[in-house]
Amino acid sequence: MFGIDRRLLQNFDWMMLLLVVVIVGMGIVNLASATHVEGELTGEVRRQLVSLGIGGVGMLLVLAVDYRHYERFAIPALLVCIALLAATLVFAPVTRGSQSWLFGGRLQPSELAKLGLVIALARYFHRNPPGEIRRLRDLIRPGLIVVVPVGLIVMQRDMGVALLTLLITSTYLALTRISWRSWIGVAFVGVATLITLWMYVLQPYQQRRILDVIDPGRDPLSSGYQAIQSRIAIGSGGLLGTGYRAGTQTQLRFLPTQHTDFVFSVLAEEWGFVGSCVVLSLYLVLMLWGLRIARNSKDGFGAMLAVGLVGTIFWPLVLNIGMVLGLAPVIGVPLPLFSYGGSALVTSLVGLGLLMNVSMRRYVF
Amino acid sequence: MPIEEAGVGRLAAGVDPSIVNRLIFIAVVIVLTFIVFGVRLFQLQVIEGEDLGNRARRNSVRTVHLEAPRGNIVDRFGRELATTRPAFGVQVMPAEMRERELTFAALASLLDQDPGELSERVGNPRGRRRFQSVRIAKDLPYDSRTRVESHLYALPGVFTDVSPRRYYVGGSLAAHVLGYTGEIQTSQLEKRAFADYRSGDVVGQAGVESRYESVLRGRAGGRNVVVDVAGRVDEVLDEVEATPGGTVMLTIDRDLQRVAEEAFLPDVIGGEEKRGAVVALDPRNGDVLALVSRPSFDPNSFAGGIDSKTWKELTESEGRPIQNRAIAGQYPPASTYKVFVAAAGLEEGAIVPEDRVFCPGTFKLGRRTYRCWKRGGHGWVNLHEALARSCDVFFYQLGLKLGIDRIAFFSNGFHLGRKTGIALGSESPGLVPTQAWKERRFGEVWLKGETVSASIGQGFNLTTPLQLAVAYAAIANGGTVLRPRILLRQSGPDGTVEQGPERESLGKVPVSPEHLATITRALEAVVHEQGGTGGRARIPGVRVAGKTGTAQVVHLKETEDLEEDEIPFKFRDHAWFAAFAPVEAPEIVVVALAEHGGHGGSAAGPIVNAVLSRYFKSSMPEAPPRQTKPRNPPDLPTPLDPPEAPEEAAQVVRN
Repeated sequence: MFGIDRRLLQNFDWMMLLLVVVIVGMGIVNLASATHVEGELTGEVRRQLVSLGIGGVGMLLVLAVDYRHYERFAIPALLVCIALLAATLVFAPVTRGSQSWLFGGRLQPSELAKLGLVIALARYFHRNPPGEIRRLRDLIRPGLIVVVPVGLIVMQRDMGVALLTLLITSTYLALTRISWRSWIGVAFVGVATLITLWMYVLQPYQQRRILDVIDPGRDPLSSGYQAIQSRIAIGSGGLLGTGYRAGTQTQLRFLPTQHTDFVFSVLAEEWGFVGSCVVLSLYLVLMLWGLRIARNSKDGFGAMLAVGLVGTIFWPLVLNIGMVLGLAPVIGVPLPLFSYGGSALVTSLVGLGLLMNVSMRRYVF
Repeated sequence: MPIEEAGVGRLAAGVDPSIVNRLIFIAVVIVLTFIVFGVRLFQLQVIEGEDLGNRARRNSVRTVHLEAPRGNIVDRFGRELATTRPAFGVQVMPAEMRERELTFAALASLLDQDPGELSERVGNPRGRRRFQSVRIAKDLPYDSRTRVESHLYALPGVFTDVSPRRYYVGGSLAAHVLGYTGEIQTSQLEKRAFADYRSGDVVGQAGVESRYESVLRGRAGGRNVVVDVAGRVDEVLDEVEATPGGTVMLTIDRDLQRVAEEAFLPDVIGGEEKRGAVVALDPRNGDVLALVSRPSFDPNSFAGGIDSKTWKELTESEGRPIQNRAIAGQYPPASTYKVFVAAAGLEEGAIVPEDRVFCPGTFKLGRRTYRCWKRGGHGWVNLHEALARSCDVFFYQLGLKLGIDRIAFFSNGFHLGRKTGIALGSESPGLVPTQAWKERRFGEVWLKGETVSASIGQGFNLTTPLQLAVAYAAIANGGTVLRPRILLRQSGPDGTVEQGPERESLGKVPVSPEHLATITRALEAVVHEQGGTGGRARIPGVRVAGKTGTAQVVHLKETEDLEEDEIPFKFRDHAWFAAFAPVEAPEIVVVALAEHGGHGGSAAGPIVNAVLSRYFKSSMPEAPPRQTKPRNPPDLPTPLDPPEAPEEAAQVVRN
């Protein structure tokens, strides 16, 4: 199973690799500008390069083993993720109101949990094809797989990540055949739940962030400030951008968290409408390519895995770009492959490695 | 309809074809999402781009933090204790400066500072730090400020700002009640309670400031402004006004508080300034009328940040001004404790008021001799006389008869040995020893001699001045232990008013009203009878009950041969005085402690006297003098009678 088969190399998904390399490369270049200090390579860029190295190695390791073997490890892997999440609750210090880092801030188990959940759900839907799911009650069992990790993330008070994880797993819903009428019922229950959450669970600052999307001028100081400054940065990019390292908003640090959550604003300011569209197109092609891999995969597990992995890129991207463009609340969700952040980059790369794994073994048995 | 799949190497053989439709659906959703993003980008960058770009090119939009003025803290009559005033600061942004040397020279002469030092403070930062302004003055006096402002036009890169600054109207007045404010600490920022705070925010760090932070804080506002190259405001884009904090009305009476504090100054009691504490309570409802700890500090010095030297002085110097002795200082209660032993004796039937004991001035237990404070002895005394003259021998014998655990039971009944739960931080619990406690703490058995010491409030016993006031309030009001309360009411900036906590009973003392009355008569004798130890607390026209106490700091032997003036300061005894008045319907309890003050009556008595005098002067300006009947036993205290208070007081006192 470890031997290098000639056919494997022949079928290697060079397109996917190229997309990933180009996006990550642009991300690093952009990060260098976002954290730019005259004449030196910043610590953030250096650490991001190290993470890229680790992620690259992880990607290769994941590629080496036929993905079908992962199905067997799906449940133990999920249990390990759950254990890590629980350990975070016990051991990790509370920073900035949430509690999500292990090993002195080097590992964020909630990142790993996303991958673990996708593999576990892929296994489940492989055995219970979603095409045969017609009733809401059929979702109870897969729902149970999701509930424990998400519950633990909620207990860490990391609402952004909890929401994100739920959205990622919801990708599979698109494959089921539950009637529209049922979904209307779900929407009704969902709205009721949201109202309850708003009134009893959300902290005032979280409520404020959501209100700020509806009206960014409401609180120009904290979260509204971010939204306004981000919009000014993007707007000042114009059609062609201000040029690399020439964005005044970026270079003058008007942008908050511009190397993590608002990294896209930096790109938009310095490379303009054209540059932003190029990068967004790359992401679009990457995801469509992922769906193609799902279609072409030789078995159900591969297909399900590919769909879930596309979800792990799509949803954070939607939340992040939506936030940066002022279309979604300021939730601290980084842009996959682009934002500064080690755990996220490594898990993204490992996930994409899995996707390539499915792709290159589509013919081989 | 799953396809039979067993073949090898067939194209897409494993995927349910019906899924393909679904994959196309997902692809369509993704593409649509990206179209939305593209349109939004087009709108922001191409349509609005020029306008937004202009703002950015002028390096222009700056967010000005509008700090919310902190709410006022007022006394029970609405008189300001802490308020907010504007503070004018000067900032320099290195990136916008021209003619560096000239600017610094000009600023130096305007601010009366050394140009070299200014230049060094701002430094010559590179990179991003050039755009971070450096504050070179925080709180300018008015004339400097106008001088700077009139020269601003010639000094690009220099600008002024105004921020609200906490101002404690009375300086150190009630400092330990009010607490102080300071910039939020990094360790606090990580706590969930402060999730809403940003670094640099001002937060209450002690006392009422900390306890009622959520009321006082208000909500910061912000203003996005377009500024020109020199940092001058061109245009205000939008603004959210700051919401000021709410007002906190305390139960404190500012005048009484001031009198209690000034009683520690040299001119009132003579000699040097004393250390110690005063607590004045209303025994009818637990209102804290005054709470003093000396030495004190000026919380104004914290408002703009405090330098480490001053902080060290406040926390580490021998007097430790930052400590709130009234609630955190633990002292042996000494003879003030005798009332609890007396209550225990009466209630347990160990003694009746008529029983007489002979005091020869000493008491022998085994081979040890315990002295009475009066070397010649008191002769034959009953309970009344023993309390009035504070005879130690009488209580040595009574204590031994009761045993330490019975004494502890009754002390606990008066809520000694436990925190009172006052709404101020860092209260101490005190200590009421028992046999079991000693076993636990030292692994040793309780000795009889320790009961002897305990029955006059020495040995292991510890109380805070506040605890003693709460216990004496229970005697004064007929037996109810009340939680002391400090908040009368709070009101929001929108005019909403929320009353403070209700009168809260912590329990009834396990002593019958008749016995409390017996003790009260004896306490009145302490003040008013010939031979009583508390004559210094006498005030004209009011019947006062009280008890003195002299807590030994070191064992008697080392100092007994010295005259009081010759004893080194730190070895001198702590002086206590606990009193309430008027005896027939107590309205106020005052407990004073003078650290190393010497004898209770002479050192703490005048402090109590000052507080009571002030209270009854303001409380009954026109009232006819009350009849004082020192020789006759008083009636039972009738605790909840309507107070004879002036009109303004009557409005805020809630029974």
